[in-house]
Amino acid sequence: MTTATAPTSGVPVGPGLSMFDPIFVGIDEFGQPVYITLAYRNLLAGGEPGGGKSGLLNCIAAHAALSVDSRLVLLDGKLVELGQWEDCADAFIGPDITEALTVLRRLQVVMNNRYAWLRAHGRRKLTAADNLSVITVLVDEIAFYSATVGSKQEQEEFVALLRDLVARGRAAGIPVVAATQRPSFDIIPTSLRDLFGYRAAFRCTTPNSSNIVLGHGWAEQGYTATDIQPTNQGAAYLIAEGGVPRRIKVAYLTDNQIAGIADYATWIRRPATGNRTEWEIAA
Amino acid sequence: MSKSSPRRPFGRNTGTVTVIEAKVHRSSARNARLAFILTAVIVGLLSAVVAASSMHPILALFIGALIGALSGGLAWVLVRIWPVLRLLWWWTTEIGITIVLGAAWVQLANHTPLPVTLVVVALVVGVPAAVPVTRRALVAWTWCLVVRHRLRVCFAQFIIANQSGSLPLILWATPTPVGERVWVYLRPGLSMADLEGRLDRIAVACHAATALVERASDGNAAYLRFDIKRREVLTATVGSPLVDVIDPATPATDRAMPVVPTALDLPDVDAPVITLPVQKKPATTANGSKPGASSSSSDADDVSDWI
Repeated sequence: MTTATAPTSGVPVGPGLSMFDPIFVGIDEFGQPVYITLAYRNLLAGGEPGGGKSGLLNCIAAHAALSVDSRLVLLDGKLVELGQWEDCADAFIGPDITEALTVLRRLQVVMNNRYAWLRAHGRRKLTAADNLSVITVLVDEIAFYSATVGSKQEQEEFVALLRDLVARGRAAGIPVVAATQRPSFDIIPTSLRDLFGYRAAFRCTTPNSSNIVLGHGWAEQGYTATDIQPTNQGAAYLIAEGGVPRRIKVAYLTDNQIAGIADYATWIRRPATGNRTEWEIAA
Repeated sequence: MSKSSPRRPFGRNTGTVTVIEAKVHRSSARNARLAFILTAVIVGLLSAVVAASSMHPILALFIGALIGALSGGLAWVLVRIWPVLRLLWWWTTEIGITIVLGAAWVQLANHTPLPVTLVVVALVVGVPAAVPVTRRALVAWTWCLVVRHRLRVCFAQFIIANQSGSLPLILWATPTPVGERVWVYLRPGLSMADLEGRLDRIAVACHAATALVERASDGNAAYLRFDIKRREVLTATVGSPLVDVIDPATPATDRAMPVVPTALDLPDVDAPVITLPVQKKPATTANGSKPGASSSSSDADDVSDWI
């Protein structure tokens, strides 16, 4: 497991995790731990309400919060799913599409600057040695921003900005993790949905819904999230490394555990939030 | 074979169990004849050539014919009894286990008095059955044996492979936490796509919940792996190791008290006054009917889901 020993002397340093490390998300059917490396990948989670999508998002947020080279941008239409990470996040957007658009535009500028920086150095992608932070963008309920709130133009701009981040953010260290109940074409355009490399399908009601999340044809091959019991929250099919869906159980963090990790993450970031350090400016 | 030949002993009306299907039997006879001729000719000629170096060529020819006929006969017998050999091979594990257990029982019974025999048997059977770990392992391995036979039944009964009816090679099986994993080597005539369409029936035949099939090798499409699932294991809550990373003595963050909303129930919230923009009446066509369009939005899945 990619865990380091916790500092016991109370020195405000990070526990040594990095966003380039594999992120522990749960166990598979063989009892083996499942890791995903998110630094160069985007993840889309889908499934019916109460399936465990937020558990996965919180798992990733916890790792990102405890990583020294990480920044969190959280978009949560429900406020409560990712709300506990607000203090250690660089941006926390509630049900306000104007703010969401603002932060996405900022991210787009950062991404463009990073690509210019990479080009100036004759490189093609960011690595852990660059001392640049990985800006993890977590979006819970895309549908809220892309189909519910705001005007038509704002929704379209949100989708366009998000698509740009998903399409180009990978090598610039801006991975996007998005969750929605059913990512059909009326919620997010298929052109955006198909860009996500990693997929997690929590319980779905129809094989068609499962196919929409995992990709066309998996249900016919026997990988359908309809066979997950409704009572088995957190069980999902995950397509990540390997390319074949794996049945996993997502690690669950209780509210108290999240609060503890968030407090700790906020605390280790204290100097960074007080006076802007070198790497923060670089980011 | 003449048409007036009597029914074969394996025929349906003779009351005996059909071990070899009639079609297979016929092709087996033809194959055996072919094997006899080929082996006899090749081995006979080679033997004659070798023998000719040390004796008269005509004598060598006779010797070659004799050796060829003997080898051909051996090949003929092998091909004829091949279906039975194959059957024995399929059940090798079971036959082996039965022989070992039977021999052990006989040896034990011959060398120890009855009470001791019974005690030993009770211990040998009872202890693994009583200890949960060994019991589960035994049951799991037994399922592995069962599943290999069930898969063979699947292939023989409803997965039509090729004209000669050759079955895939069902290789080894290992228990997994959810069921069993069986490796299979397909013969010409089958592909993974053929099997994917029959996974539900395979699951039924294996007395399992679901079955999955995937490639076991990147370089060989014939080498497959079946995952037979009969248990749901992912039911327990999984904890995150990150919880152990943090220092529990971390001071809680001072948060500014957010504004707590008050209107938390329906009567507390008034109906919002919405001034709708003046809308134009929808244009009607000459016959008074509303124009079509804008009625196509339905919740049902449609083909544009996939575009």
